[in-house]
Amino acid sequence: MFAAVPEPVFALNNIYYTSLPLWITLVPIIAGIGIYFLKDHWEIPRKVLAFLASLAALIGVVFLFPLSLTGTVSYDLIDFMQLGLFFKLDIIGWVFAFLITLVWFLATIFSFAYMDFEHNRRRYYSFLIFTLGATLGVVMSGDFFTLFLFFEMMTLSSFVLVIHEQDIQAMKAGILYLYLGIFGGLALLFAIMMLYGATGSVAITPALELLGSQRTAIFICFLIGFGIKAGLVPLHIWLPQAHPVAPSPASALLSGIMIKIGAYGILRVAVILYSSESGSPGIADLSYLFIIGNVLMWIGIVTMFAGASMALLQTNMKRILAYSSVSQIGYIATGIGVATFAGVEGGMGFAGAIYHIINHAFFKAGLFMMVGTIYIYTHELELPRLGGMFKKMPLVGVTFLVAAFGIAGIPGFNGYPSKTLIHDSLLIYYKDYGLLSIDLAEKIFVLTSALTICYFIKLFRGVFLGPVPEKLDREYSLPFSVNFVLGLFALIITGIGIFPNLILERVLVPAAELLNYEGYAMDHLNHFNFFEWYPVKAMVIVVILALLIYVPAAYRGWFNWKPPWWLSIHALVYNPVTHLLLDLTCRSGVLIDSSVDTAYDKSGAAARKMCSYLGSLDSGIDKFYEQSGKTARKLADRSTDMDAKLDDFYEQTGKMARKVADRSTEMDSALNEAYLKTGRAAKKLAEQTSNAERKLDSVYDKAGSKARQEMERRLSEKKGKRGFFDPSKWSTKNLSFDTLLLVLVLGIVLLVIFYFGRAN
Amino acid sequence: MTPVIMYSCRVSDLFRNTLSIVTAAITFILTLSLYGFVVGGGEIQLTLFEVLPNLEISMRLDLLSFCLAALASFVWLLCTIYSVDYMAKEHACGRYYPVFIFTLGSCQGIFFAGDLFSLFVFFELMSLIAYILVIHEETEEALKAGYKYLVMTIIGGLALFFGMIIVFELGGTVSLGVGVILQEPSMLALLAFICFLIGFGMKAGMFPLHVWLPDAHPVAPSPASALLSGIMLKTGAYGLIRVIFHVFSPEMLQSVGWNNILAVLAVITILLGSAVALTQTDIKRRLAYSSISQLGYVLLGLSILNNNAITGAVFHIFSHALMKSILFLAAGAIIWKTGLRVIADLKGIGRQMPVTMGCFSVAALAMIGIPPLNGFLSKWTLAMGALDAQMPLYVLVLLVSSLLNALYYLPIIIPAFFEMPGDNGHDHHDHHEFEFNIQEATPRMLSVMIILALFTFIFGLTPNNIAFSLSRVTAEFLLLGGAF
Repeated sequence: MFAAVPEPVFALNNIYYTSLPLWITLVPIIAGIGIYFLKDHWEIPRKVLAFLASLAALIGVVFLFPLSLTGTVSYDLIDFMQLGLFFKLDIIGWVFAFLITLVWFLATIFSFAYMDFEHNRRRYYSFLIFTLGATLGVVMSGDFFTLFLFFEMMTLSSFVLVIHEQDIQAMKAGILYLYLGIFGGLALLFAIMMLYGATGSVAITPALELLGSQRTAIFICFLIGFGIKAGLVPLHIWLPQAHPVAPSPASALLSGIMIKIGAYGILRVAVILYSSESGSPGIADLSYLFIIGNVLMWIGIVTMFAGASMALLQTNMKRILAYSSVSQIGYIATGIGVATFAGVEGGMGFAGAIYHIINHAFFKAGLFMMVGTIYIYTHELELPRLGGMFKKMPLVGVTFLVAAFGIAGIPGFNGYPSKTLIHDSLLIYYKDYGLLSIDLAEKIFVLTSALTICYFIKLFRGVFLGPVPEKLDREYSLPFSVNFVLGLFALIITGIGIFPNLILERVLVPAAELLNYEGYAMDHLNHFNFFEWYPVKAMVIVVILALLIYVPAAYRGWFNWKPPWWLSIHALVYNPVTHLLLDLTCRSGVLIDSSVDTAYDKSGAAARKMCSYLGSLDSGIDKFYEQSGKTARKLADRSTDMDAKLDDFYEQTGKMARKVADRSTEMDSALNEAYLKTGRAAKKLAEQTSNAERKLDSVYDKAGSKARQEMERRLSEKKGKRGFFDPSKWSTKNLSFDTLLLVLVLGIVLLVIFYFGRAN
Repeated sequence: MTPVIMYSCRVSDLFRNTLSIVTAAITFILTLSLYGFVVGGGEIQLTLFEVLPNLEISMRLDLLSFCLAALASFVWLLCTIYSVDYMAKEHACGRYYPVFIFTLGSCQGIFFAGDLFSLFVFFELMSLIAYILVIHEETEEALKAGYKYLVMTIIGGLALFFGMIIVFELGGTVSLGVGVILQEPSMLALLAFICFLIGFGMKAGMFPLHVWLPDAHPVAPSPASALLSGIMLKTGAYGLIRVIFHVFSPEMLQSVGWNNILAVLAVITILLGSAVALTQTDIKRRLAYSSISQLGYVLLGLSILNNNAITGAVFHIFSHALMKSILFLAAGAIIWKTGLRVIADLKGIGRQMPVTMGCFSVAALAMIGIPPLNGFLSKWTLAMGALDAQMPLYVLVLLVSSLLNALYYLPIIIPAFFEMPGDNGHDHHDHHEFEFNIQEATPRMLSVMIILALFTFIFGLTPNNIAFSLSRVTAEFLLLGGAF
């Protein structure tokens, strides 16, 4: 695989540029996508690919150890999404990366056995490996943008793991997980944007002085964003629902690894971002840090106590473990809080927090897988219906016991050193500051540790001791892969427990030194001996306290008390708040929207009313015009009468003219006759007087033509008079009203044009 | 090379499908061919003819026109291809295709308009023609929605016309190529600004002028609603950009604070759109309300008026066009195939149409703003702009709206993939296995959606992001007053 191929490494002031981090994240992501496209029944290639991908990531991370120990590994893709993808891996990140890959590798192997009993394996492996890549991306990112990108990818892809069962419960839990995840993501995004706005960069570097007045808001947003993922107390509600419903290897990863990503984020923000660039913050900043550290510590204390007491009241194995995870995250948050408020003296708290993250990953992932092993063989998660499994599955029983000792903090197992460190840091700072709050926190810490032991006694008794239920009374044979994984977890847990100083010196002290921790706490840390009487004594007190609580409580059956629904944080806070908010936004939105709509409708109606009013006005005008039209018609009629009279008159004159013409024609013909007669007489005379005759002839001719001209003139005169006054053509009757208007408008337009033309 | 060819409309009934595609393709290619020219900083100003003295139909080409025209013709091309299969089941194709292509032409005309007058002409042309697309179904509902659309369009058009007259009166020209027309704020200028706001805001679905949108978009055929939402809304935003930068100037608007009008309206639009979308049960109505809120982002970016915000706004035009087209096309494919359009009925649809729903999911995730997708980038840039302007409140608005986006998109996606159809509250242990009962849309429809979905990745993920760098350059270009 790619990751196994070593890239050329250039050492430059202890900053190593290598693309290895990119490949470590990309290989699982690509492999995960690849698995999804394998065919459903290709079991072996799928498993091989998943195995190889997680192994490759593990090897890659191991390879980075020497580099990250001596300096920082970094790599950037400048142009990615215009903002640049920036990988940076220091020793803190490396611890996380190693933890992730190792636990993931083991969980993948465990899945091979576990998932054979499950459906939809293709989707499961695909998203399992994809999530590995995204999770690695989070811890290897060098700036908050890259971190956010992988954080969101992790949330979305792990959603598919949570809802794997797809029953109602899983869907409900998954949807809650997703919504809270997205809400957290957006809070994170807001914080990142504000950070960018304030400092101009998204790098994870000390920037306390640059943050200015918005630093509290930014911190709260970061805390919400990462706190949801980590499961800090007011934000933990998704965790006890989502972790139990996922398939066991996935719950192991969710509980063991993914909530640590939240813790990792808080760590980065509280310890690195909110620290001074020069290493020694001013007085004002110190007191500010003291406040936020205290807040964080108290959130942690409340979380650990609430988680532990809720775990005590559960009967579902996986729910106990889920609440236990909440409680353990409280320890981690307390450690971080202590590290924050103590400033440069915070080495103890810091080391304790990281140490506990490491340990919790191992024992909680181990515990989930053990419970998962029991579940796949018995299909039973409820304590009352289980029992006597120690005889049936001795190996699971032994490893479970080891892991339980680890989480309880028994000396010799891995929970002990980390709890001791956190506890000691509380003691030390109580000594330094003498504050009541720290003292109180320390008391609650001890009490919670005792409760932790109590619920593990309850869990162990319920599952492994007592009589075997009849239904489950058969032989079980575990496959090698399960035995191997569980055995390895037990081995790691005891290994760390017996040699606690190994990790402390090799990893935690360099990490603390990287952050410029100094002073008494660091000296103390450097020469810490976990097996002195003084820390062991504290643990002995815890165990005695636990027994004091457990024995009477179990005797009286207090642990079976079910808290009523109205007492839960769902009923008290979340449901009312979400309902209120949703109602508020939706109702007001719909209200505004519909009111705008009705406003338009109403304005439309008003406009229509106005129009109808205008219409009546219009019809009034219309009537007026009609009447005026009528009068005009009357006028026109009258004029027509007049016209007709005129016509008559002209006709009469015409007749008269015709009579005149007739008469003249008669006269003419009479004349003609007379002339003819005289002509005949004249013919007779012609011979005698031809000259006189011709003259006479021409005279009469002239007179005749004159008369004809006269007649023609009269006729044409009459015709012309008739044409000009033709009533059928020139009557207002035919001038329709439209034309009149048209003409009017035209006239106005012309007038206007004329007027404006003149004005120009 | 002249953009004039692009709005010439060629229509034939016989080979109309092929011809429509070819026309759209030619338009797209021609537009793309302008790329080299535009990136070199070139501008074309071309006067076609004068209607009145100083009032002409003219063409203009600069970076912003190119961006939007390329985007429009690209989405149009894909939608045309999609239509071929989608409309095969529908009536009145002979009316649909010519109108479809004609609208493309007028849309390109808007983007290439060289002055307010021609912008107005093309704007009205597009709006009126699109009416035919809206009422395509000719049901009572469609006609009613269409009527509402028409009335609003006409109101908007008149407001626009009035604004234009004022600008002409005050400045003596309406050309977009001469830089800032109105230098000094005055009552009339404010009136003109409000008129433009009404005219273009109506098209962009700005509160309180959005009422036509949730009615009109769902009733249109899906490829048409994709375009209505994806592209035609953007013409409103485009018009506002032009008005803000070429008629007024950003400095002037900021100095008198008129941009605050736009900002307040944009904030209301964003929140209102998202909140109301949450209550919708019809998938296309939900998408339509989502469009309202997304356009609010663009308007918000415009109102902030700094480099990042403008870049974000222009880039969001790109991303929203892609995302919303996918969403509408996918919803269309589902309706086309199954006839289901109520969200509660869509359980298990992801198993029946995995590719369609896959594309839908990608687009929805981009809408929510999940990082590797383009929606995140535009939100990020807008938020940076808001922070540059010292307004963290706007960032909060953006994020609240993102959360609401998640709240209304995820209940579509999750049941689609992870619940069984008819799953009413009891466990189904017997059919846990994924039963892919695949009844997909046709390959042509799928390929269109896949191409668009790939682009949401490309515009989000790749280092050489053409769309983003174009938006960046465009923002700089605009802020420098339209000259390099």
